Amino acid sequence: MRAESLLVPIGKTLAVAAILVWSLFPIVFIVASSVKPGQDIFAVPPQWVFEPTLQHYATLWAQWGVFFRGLWNSLLITIGATVLAVVASTCAGYAFSRHAARWLDLSVVALIAVRLIPPIVVTLPLFPIVNRLGLADTHLVLIVLYATFFVSLGTVLMRTFIDQIPRDLDEAAAIDGASRLTILWRVIVPLAAPGILAVAVFVIVFAWNEFLFAFIFTGTNAKTAPLVISEMIGSIDGVDWGVLFAASTVQLAPVLAFVILMNRYLVAGLTAGATKG
Amino acid sequence: MTRPMQMNRRGFLASATGTLALLAAAPALAAGKVLNILSHRVHQAVLGEGEGDLMAGWKTANDADLAFTTFDSNPLMDRLFREASLPETEFSLGYMVDNRPTSDIARLFEPLDGWQEKDPIADFADLAPGLIKGMTIDGKLIGIPVRTATQALFYNEDLLEQAGFTAPPATLEELVAQAQKISADKIATGMVLASDLAVFPVMFARAFGGDFLTQDFRLLPDPAAMEQALTVLAGMFADGSLPRSYATTKNDDQVTWMQQGRAAFTVLPFARAAQLNNPEQSKFPGRIKAVGFPVTGGLVGKTPMAAVVEAWAMVIPANARDKDLAWSYIRQVSSPETTLGMALNGNGAARVSTFSDPRLIEKNPLAAIEAEALANARGAFPPFPEAARAQALLLEEVQLAVMGRKTPAEAVAAISERVAPLLP
Repeated sequence: MRAESLLVPIGKTLAVAAILVWSLFPIVFIVASSVKPGQDIFAVPPQWVFEPTLQHYATLWAQWGVFFRGLWNSLLITIGATVLAVVASTCAGYAFSRHAARWLDLSVVALIAVRLIPPIVVTLPLFPIVNRLGLADTHLVLIVLYATFFVSLGTVLMRTFIDQIPRDLDEAAAIDGASRLTILWRVIVPLAAPGILAVAVFVIVFAWNEFLFAFIFTGTNAKTAPLVISEMIGSIDGVDWGVLFAASTVQLAPVLAFVILMNRYLVAGLTAGATKG
Repeated sequence: MTRPMQMNRRGFLASATGTLALLAAAPALAAGKVLNILSHRVHQAVLGEGEGDLMAGWKTANDADLAFTTFDSNPLMDRLFREASLPETEFSLGYMVDNRPTSDIARLFEPLDGWQEKDPIADFADLAPGLIKGMTIDGKLIGIPVRTATQALFYNEDLLEQAGFTAPPATLEELVAQAQKISADKIATGMVLASDLAVFPVMFARAFGGDFLTQDFRLLPDPAAMEQALTVLAGMFADGSLPRSYATTKNDDQVTWMQQGRAAFTVLPFARAAQLNNPEQSKFPGRIKAVGFPVTGGLVGKTPMAAVVEAWAMVIPANARDKDLAWSYIRQVSSPETTLGMALNGNGAARVSTFSDPRLIEKNPLAAIEAEALANARGAFPPFPEAARAQALLLEEVQLAVMGRKTPAEAVAAISERVAPLLP
């Protein structure tokens, strides 16, 4: 009995440790390699003790200015997509939560169906359309696409959050003369803030790292950081692994920090409605 | 009570819309006469920048600027073909690798024969004839060669000396023997090759006078040569001269293994010499050297090695907006002086005479060896619609043979049977 009671926590600890190693090893490897001398990155046996260097970051700055322009583009697009997705998801979630009709239920199914379509299926037919509209290589096209692909999930999440807000509050505000938009802005949005943050986290992580849409629809002006990183894995002139790892660290740091900071909202978003009875 | 809130909402929506509109309008602020180019980053880099900008004079003379949009090789081809299939593209020039232009693809690009007649490239005959032939599809020249990457045999001089060898191998048999001894003496793995590229079995087959697929689509013109090649590779795997991880070894592994001294030999383009000997990355800077890939002893002095070469060419999409400017760029980039300038910046030249220029010889000690290898080099196989599947089948059978799951004879028979239906 006593042995069993010891085995359970030990097992849990080992399981957690295994998951941590599995999850953190790639990140630690990338960050550590970004400050390792180039010769030691793939040394066999691995060099665990080394003299850190910022040389790869200096090379990144000196030779890959386009990467930092890509970061700026990623930032603009991520902010734009997040704002658009959050606004659309909140409005749609409110509508789905507070109104019931057969056509609304059908539109929920349509939203989910859109989410199930593999992105590549829509990207290639969209390419000539986007070109015809003169939107190729603009920030706008990525902002709209990223937001579009997350509005479905965002709407479902927001509907679940808003469902938990008592309708009495809407009604009380309406009696006081508030319009629907006033109710949404003044009553619903503040109370659904955790849900909005959860949606925002999802969109930010997706938009910051997305590659396929960016590859198809951008070239120079709106080129994002993941595209530049993919270029560093060059098939013609070889890979400068130290610079690649430095760029990956720079790309990883903001979104990693953001996810850690917003971790509890992310969990809240994922478990929203789980206990709704 | 509600007014301030409504103002805020409107303000918010107006700001958001304004921001999006500004972002959308940003590209419209670009400059006037610009030649938009789709290329790999390396194509842009070899043209230099700042005071070393090889195109500075052209830019001034044409009052034009260059806007490069760069991707890695496969994404670049994907984007180039998509752009060329639109009703119109803003990219008036692209760089295409020579294993892509099938008849269907060639139709997307401007035939250049007329441009060459009207406004010829200087000393056109000096461009390697084999490369011109590779970009001539259905009798039409669709690209002007600009960059070559010829495969070489790289060796680590330090490891060879440790095994008692004072010179690199002169025949394929010597190569195998040296690799075996280095492995047996546990100095390093004899040779590292990527298992997912057709270049290597093709090189070994050519070392025996054979081939996988000739330029006129003869499959396995000498099956015995391919069988010998696979027998050699299988033997090297069996005795440990190839790594145990052969099946998962990639192109980048070849570079890191050589830089780390984990392998004594590999096959890579001559241009990789700089990276292999880069003191910031390599543990053997200056000690990793290159020679032409050797043929089997029986062919020495009779049949020269036909190394695999990959070439890039400049093409003009048929739907391009500014073909005149694009042709002007092509003429300048393929001129003898710009070709030399690019070669000095590390570009594999497409002009034969460039390799004998004293300035290049002084800067690149491999220039003469590369010129010799290039003289007989040809592509791994010609472009055709099912080329990717054919390559996958070849590699599958080669891997089975190398790892001892099939005999070389069985693998060769299977290559013949499975690839034949895919040929045009």
